[in-house]
Amino acid sequence: MAEITQTMDSADRPAAPVLHVAPSPHLAHQALTTRRMMLDVVIALVPVVAMALVVFRGYAVKQLVICVLGCLAAEALFTRMRGRTLPLKDCSALVTGIILALSLPGPAPWYVGAIAAFVAIGIGKVLFGGVGMNIFNPAMVGRAFVMIAFASAMAASGYQDAASGVDAVTQATPMDLFKLTGQVTPLGPMFLGLTNGSLGETSALACLVGGIFLCVRRTASWEIPAGILGMVALMAGLAQWADPASGWTVWHHLCGGSLLFGAFFIATDPVSSPLTPKGKAIFGVGVGFFIMLLRLFSGYPEGVMFAVLLMNGITPLINRWCIPKPLGLR
Amino acid sequence: MADQPTAMERFIQGILPENPTYRQLLGLCPTLAVTNGLNQALTMAGAVLFVLFCANVMISLIRDLLKPHLRIVIFTLVIAAFVTVADRFLAAYLYQMSKTLGPYIPLIIVNCIIICRCEVCASKQGVVAAGADAIGQSLGFGLGLSSIAAVREILGTGALFGIKVLPAVWPDWVIMVLPPGAFLTFGILLGAVNWYSARPSKATRTN
Amino acid sequence: MNATLRDNNIVQAWLVLLLAVCFGGMLAGVQLALGPKIELNKVNETREKVPELVLGAQAAQAGAPLAVEPLTVSVEKPAKTVRYSVYEAKKDGALAGWVVKTAGQGYADRIEVLIGLAPDAGSLTGLFVLDQKETPGLGNKIVTDEWRGQFVGKAVDRPLAAVKGGAKGGSEIDAITGATISSHAVTSIINTAVADLRQPLAEKARGN
Repeated sequence: MAEITQTMDSADRPAAPVLHVAPSPHLAHQALTTRRMMLDVVIALVPVVAMALVVFRGYAVKQLVICVLGCLAAEALFTRMRGRTLPLKDCSALVTGIILALSLPGPAPWYVGAIAAFVAIGIGKVLFGGVGMNIFNPAMVGRAFVMIAFASAMAASGYQDAASGVDAVTQATPMDLFKLTGQVTPLGPMFLGLTNGSLGETSALACLVGGIFLCVRRTASWEIPAGILGMVALMAGLAQWADPASGWTVWHHLCGGSLLFGAFFIATDPVSSPLTPKGKAIFGVGVGFFIMLLRLFSGYPEGVMFAVLLMNGITPLINRWCIPKPLGLR
Repeated sequence: MADQPTAMERFIQGILPENPTYRQLLGLCPTLAVTNGLNQALTMAGAVLFVLFCANVMISLIRDLLKPHLRIVIFTLVIAAFVTVADRFLAAYLYQMSKTLGPYIPLIIVNCIIICRCEVCASKQGVVAAGADAIGQSLGFGLGLSSIAAVREILGTGALFGIKVLPAVWPDWVIMVLPPGAFLTFGILLGAVNWYSARPSKATRTN
Repeated sequence: MNATLRDNNIVQAWLVLLLAVCFGGMLAGVQLALGPKIELNKVNETREKVPELVLGAQAAQAGAPLAVEPLTVSVEKPAKTVRYSVYEAKKDGALAGWVVKTAGQGYADRIEVLIGLAPDAGSLTGLFVLDQKETPGLGNKIVTDEWRGQFVGKAVDRPLAAVKGGAKGGSEIDAITGATISSHAVTSIINTAVADLRQPLAEKARGN
């Protein structure tokens, strides 16, 4: 409540100095601003975007242009409607746009990306009060909306276009192939990213490079990806132990689908994830748990999006559990 | 009872100033559940009109016999009787529609709009005012339902009243006819109504 | 005495009781008047589909007179007895076909279908989905004419199979893109019902 009143006050008094509230770690980087963090994310996304451009070519260009322009336009429009200024300077809409584009299937029609962008910014962020106030990861809100709205463009069939000139798009995605027919894709192409899938998710290597950069820069907290990967590895290990004949190993679970992209770039969104290191670890473990639950037991081949959204919803609760005790308090 | 609103005031108030959907936020269960098409929404509003009108008139007629601690029992009894009539009637003459609406017609019994109007108006005022109130509130409810249903149906299926109005290239936003679409549409329309009515009018600005 | 009478719960509630009796009478009247019509609606919902499912849409439009006789067929299975509600359609006294009402688990919820069978129960003459709650935009395409049309004329000596990416005739049905589970559900509902009923219906047909 106090936060809300504060922001409302500051809207009335435009000249008021901006007190920047960002999640930890504060001490290591005094100069850590939203803009700086967002630029870090953009840099970390470079290898992922590059890989998407190499593998999906025109498709990647199309979705990136649509989603980024859509997000920037939506941000400009909605913040203007709220009477705020300088909405685009902190680059958060740019990051949302890139992540959204990278989470879409290449052949999805133009309106899927455009609507997802407007929903992501409008319903996912601005309705909650703008940057820093949103409960759910905006990009995933947008993606969930179009996934349900345009089921056929976003389901297994939406990824595949047999007539396409781009090799990757002519195949089924490894996750679908395994879910529906039990066929196992070799690990090599899955690691490098030569398979079909959402634009940014295919290359485990690119996601790892970008993700480790983010963690080293401390823009992303290492606890979240560590929790996710640990939990997924544990549950995938159990699944492999229960059914070794399927050929789908722990490594397939780790490299397949949007796990690495989600673990490093989506779940680590500082706004919608918990604040304390302990909370982040719990958050990561929870995301990993839901991902595996959805992968193993639901009708969907992949569960990163729903897992992140579910845990976003629990984040305020985790924050309450993990309030650090002041020194000396028993 | 001199300070009670007149029949005309009751009628007008129900439509916009005290709109059941957007102002009182009552009857939200059917508002969210049956607004995936205009046909369903208007049938629902019609059923509510019938039940509310009958219940209001009936309660108004017997208002002097009501005992304070037994009034809710009597309201419920009256409402339940008329809801059952409406339900049977739909099943007999609009069978498909009654299947589509499913449990939401019987659920009018627990619709707060009706018990609220019985309490606020019918148990205190004469038959004419109670009847006018019922019609006004039902029109307001119908307006609320059909505004949500129009948005959801046209985005979700490209149609109005089940007739295609958008060109075939329109990609149906399936989510709009599913439950999430109801929440999103209602929330956004409610926000728009609040935004519109909260705008400082010229009169207040000069003050 | 007067005071005790006034405090008595029953006496206080005289209006409630009176209204309850009045409304009870009113509702009984409504039920008497409308009950048969509602029952008829329920039966007709199925029965109206019979001509289309047995003769095909065009012949049904032409208004071919069909005598429809509802009956129940029990099938003994190892564990239990299964009852099917079957409609026998006769045209000019000769058996024109059967319509079987059956249901099974779909992707989201139960799918209820009507299956039209030729008199010898050897091939399908039609399919109609009475009730389903499959995903809109994907699974609910099982109700479309194009998809259901594939089933017309299929021989059922082998179980039907829903296949992805182009059915190759025979007992294969084109699965709906993105809704393989719903497609499988419908074919397996049909397969189960046909496997159960082929024998008894063919015998009945010979007996006629």
